[in-house]
Amino acid sequence: MSTIPQSDLYRLIGEATARGERVVVATVAHTRGSTPQQRGAKMLFFQNGEVAGTVGGGCIEAEVWAEAREAMRLGKSALHHFSLTAEEASEEGMVCGGTMDIFVELIRP
Amino acid sequence: MDAYEEHASPQQIIRAVSRLLEGGGIGVLITIISGSENVGAKLLVEQSGEVTGSLDNADLRNAAISQAKLFLDSRQEAKTIAVQEFAPQLQSDELLLFEWIRPEPRMVICGAGHVGAALATISALTGYHVTLIDDRSEFLKREKFPQPNVELLVAENWTDAVRKAIGDGHGVAVAVVTRGHNEDEECMRAVVPVNPDYVGLIGSKRRTTIVIDRLRGAGATPEQLQKIHAPIGLDIGAVSPEEVAIAILAEVICERRGGKGGSLSAWRRARS
Repeated sequence: MSTIPQSDLYRLIGEATARGERVVVATVAHTRGSTPQQRGAKMLFFQNGEVAGTVGGGCIEAEVWAEAREAMRLGKSALHHFSLTAEEASEEGMVCGGTMDIFVELIRP
Repeated sequence: MDAYEEHASPQQIIRAVSRLLEGGGIGVLITIISGSENVGAKLLVEQSGEVTGSLDNADLRNAAISQAKLFLDSRQEAKTIAVQEFAPQLQSDELLLFEWIRPEPRMVICGAGHVGAALATISALTGYHVTLIDDRSEFLKREKFPQPNVELLVAENWTDAVRKAIGDGHGVAVAVVTRGHNEDEECMRAVVPVNPDYVGLIGSKRRTTIVIDRLRGAGATPEQLQKIHAPIGLDIGAVSPEEVAIAILAEVICERRGGKGGSLSAWRRARS
């Protein structure tokens, strides 16, 4: 998974909502320290389980994934705080060691 | 102050963002991300002044529009700002996410010689959509540029090819690095009136001064001439074509992100 152009992200959201589907959008709202993605990075979660874009490597993505499923199910948008201590980071073999605030947002059709 | 009546839904605003991007426009997307009953409410503020959507109320909306203009000048990709920070009088505990909406950056390279070819490769790696132009088709072989975001354009004549590649110039950096001064000048004549985000011309101080004088003679305005980076690139002591390409890309990034082009560690030496 990699970053994809902004125009593609918004087009994909628009297409999904036009089909009558929900989309969950995770956006890196704030970062502190060393993090794997810059502010504004986005990841999309579609109703059929497909994803697009990324908010960072393995270290945070799994947790964001879980929050996205919750948002899809409960229909609520919220800001989530994720931290990755240096210890966890080294265990994962990642270079990140900061914290990220990620806005997980449900877009309804 | 414009009327406060637009109640666009988030998905309507997302469609407005798509339209803005398709048209090559620039704007700021503001989203309430915390602290409100309206988490997810969005406001799109276009650089043209057009505003779509609403936040909690007209006061917050107006304060956010003012803040959006400051954010556009800051050149940050995205920033979370507490309403408390820019509009304390509203006594709000909300957090707003401000995001730049703008077309993907494009790099138009006139000339596919050693410098142009190296610049195409590293610009593609850096995430630019690249258009590489030359009038010699043998310099534009696909096997040399396998990246999907490098477009190869054989110029029947430079002026038409350059105009086609630049479009309206929004989000476009142009590097003029052809094999000869006549070709450079022809490209510059086509580029300068369009006023892209960045224009650079390769050559010595003397040669580039001659080209700029000719452009002035051809009717270019002082503002247009002031924007030309000639000789092109940051001063990193580049020698090889690849190093020159890095110097050029570094200058383009510097313009786009609002960097200073110095060494990040300069403060440390100044202190000791």
